[in-house]
Amino acid sequence: MTDIHKTIVVTGVGVVSPYGIGLDCLQAGMLSGQCCLAPTKGLYPGFEGTTAQVRELPLLAEHSSSRYSRTDQLATVAAQDAMGNSGRDGSTFRESGIVMANTVGGLTEIDTGIAKDPAAWYRRPGTLLQGASYPFAHVADAVGERCGILGPRVAVSVACASGAVAIALAANMLLDGAASIVLAGGSDPLCPFTLSGFNSLRALDPDPCSPFDQNRKGLNLGEGSAVLLLETLAGAAARNANVMAVLRGWAMTNDAFHTTAPQTQGIGLADCIRLSMEMAGVSGDEIGYVNAHGTGTPLNDIAEANAYETAFRGRKHPIPVSSTKSYFGHCLGAAGALEAAVTIMTIRSGALLPTLRLTDPIESPGVDWLRGEVKRQPLPLAMSVSSGFGGGNAVLIFGSGPL
Amino acid sequence: MTPDLPPVTITGIGSVSPYGPLAGLLPPGPVQTSPITAWTTAGLRRAFLVQPFRAASVVPGLKTRRLDRFSAWALVASSLAIKDTGIDLHQVDRSRVAVVFATAFGCVELTEAFYLSAAANGWNATDPSTFPETLASAPASHVSLFHGLRGPNVTVSNKYFAGENALIQAASLLRHGQADLAIVLAGDALAQTLYSWYEVAGLLSPACYNSDPLPEDDGFIPSEGVAALVMESCDRGNIRSDARPYAKIRSARVAEGGQPAESIRQMIGGSVPSLTVCSGNGSPCATSPTTALAREISGDDAVIILPQAFALGLAGTGALFHLILALSSQPINGQALLLATAGESGFAALLLELP
Repeated sequence: MTDIHKTIVVTGVGVVSPYGIGLDCLQAGMLSGQCCLAPTKGLYPGFEGTTAQVRELPLLAEHSSSRYSRTDQLATVAAQDAMGNSGRDGSTFRESGIVMANTVGGLTEIDTGIAKDPAAWYRRPGTLLQGASYPFAHVADAVGERCGILGPRVAVSVACASGAVAIALAANMLLDGAASIVLAGGSDPLCPFTLSGFNSLRALDPDPCSPFDQNRKGLNLGEGSAVLLLETLAGAAARNANVMAVLRGWAMTNDAFHTTAPQTQGIGLADCIRLSMEMAGVSGDEIGYVNAHGTGTPLNDIAEANAYETAFRGRKHPIPVSSTKSYFGHCLGAAGALEAAVTIMTIRSGALLPTLRLTDPIESPGVDWLRGEVKRQPLPLAMSVSSGFGGGNAVLIFGSGPL
Repeated sequence: MTPDLPPVTITGIGSVSPYGPLAGLLPPGPVQTSPITAWTTAGLRRAFLVQPFRAASVVPGLKTRRLDRFSAWALVASSLAIKDTGIDLHQVDRSRVAVVFATAFGCVELTEAFYLSAAANGWNATDPSTFPETLASAPASHVSLFHGLRGPNVTVSNKYFAGENALIQAASLLRHGQADLAIVLAGDALAQTLYSWYEVAGLLSPACYNSDPLPEDDGFIPSEGVAALVMESCDRGNIRSDARPYAKIRSARVAEGGQPAESIRQMIGGSVPSLTVCSGNGSPCATSPTTALAREISGDDAVIILPQAFALGLAGTGALFHLILALSSQPINGQALLLATAGESGFAALLLELP
């Protein structure tokens, strides 16, 4: 029997993506098969590659004691979108919790001049405030300040699993009674620091990426933010909130294998999938779709395929899997949150999105690699999978409507 | 975290700090500042610095040659905390051990190094070995990797209450059965860009420029170090006959605003903690609002342990050191409050039970 005090539901989704602002915008773009990945130049001197950029981001008004980085701005606009779409007055959220993930923080505001003489750099007009936006906690503060939210506030950074981890920790906070509503998600922008870093690792595909393809060459970076409004079913019912989805299960593990490479057999990720299904009380047969991490790098995709083979072994039919990074790239600390939003969108629409440019999939008999046309079917349960540097894994299971 | 949830127990302490690398409690007495020599300064500049040490001499077999100081300290502090518990990790299901790490500034030294390589060679020729280590979560990842810990691995932060949040998140993982054991770490490393920011912003205490002995209450002096605590669910801690409980965490409240005294009274449910350990948030004059709140909750006769300058210098991540220093300073028992305030009405409060 459902315990409404321990059932976590999603009552709002806010999105800033290369498609624009809002979940509807994301859905319309993705269902039409639009790919936001495009040739890009000049993000730093000499950069040429493929990225997915957010255009026309509304700038937040600043005052003399604040400076909002692009990471802050993406997060705040997504949070405002989630709150605005909930149909509730802003004061409803005053005591809400905030759990916001990112990896870039205020690095967008800092240039190489800081390295040579930091004191001189800080004496330039405005740079003290730019420097103050550097900590990754600043993003959660920006959301809180701009949205008038004064509840518990946690910033999360777990590499590319950050966004999903934020949602998992927010769910724990709700079970603890630390807040009655939690805004949880992730945000990350494109910036020279990360583009250069992934370029130095030779992890970037110069062309639009091809996750899970035998001929995949790497990832593309994107930018964006997604914020979910989470609360208990009891709280949502009391507030007469619109329940968009139920967060049925969540789990976090670590590979403890390598600082950048995933464990080849995907053991840590398979464990994470198993734990999330145990929490949800469902079997592998009941999961109708997996929104994969699917970066398009050789190592990630094979480890992930192996994890699916292990975690869904014994399933009657191959598990349907796609990577929506093929639409708008890898948004790092925002990826897990954006993909949670996509997973919720998929449950609500019953439209399973294919991986774009997937022509010759990794051989994996237990996996139904979605490609070609959008597949339409009722989808009671779907899973969103995230992994990252340092071996972090996080899995979220969403279900349709109240139980 | 509500008061009716089962408590969790702190059973191990380890740290790397200006006191050196230590298992268990810290030695009595304040620690001294040291002159900064890691970068060129315009005259004398002092801070609470970790003195160089050989990690392998503290943790046999530990190789830190490819790590930055911050990650190396996290490995040493976590190893010392585990040693302090008496737990043999080989006898533990390591898929059930979580790592929760709090940092304000992450791997700032390597971020500086990456910027330097970009400045010297251009963004198209940066160092691939440095980039992954610039992630704020890198030290926590190294802790999982070194000890083979496959449970949840989370790096958290908050401008003022990062350490408190790490304790709360770890307790939550234990209480919800998502881990049996948690290693909680909090701290930061001091780098030139960070110290320069404090200096240009005018936040440094006069003691940072002075070679005279440091008065205890001399304002904000930047610090560095990493503290580690091992936390277990009480069920697990009680089963181990050799477990030494330093403290139990019974409940917690944290918010960026609201009614601190009312919220904390609601949390402690009518009891009055005999002791309050004031944590700080790294900014000057952080003690007075916290002390006032402590007196409002516990009365004028309550024993209040004021923040020590070293732990105050760890902006946002000092809570673990505040707690360790309090436990080290005097024999204390009963209920205690770990309390911090920030801004107009932000607060973090953890209700502890000391054996």
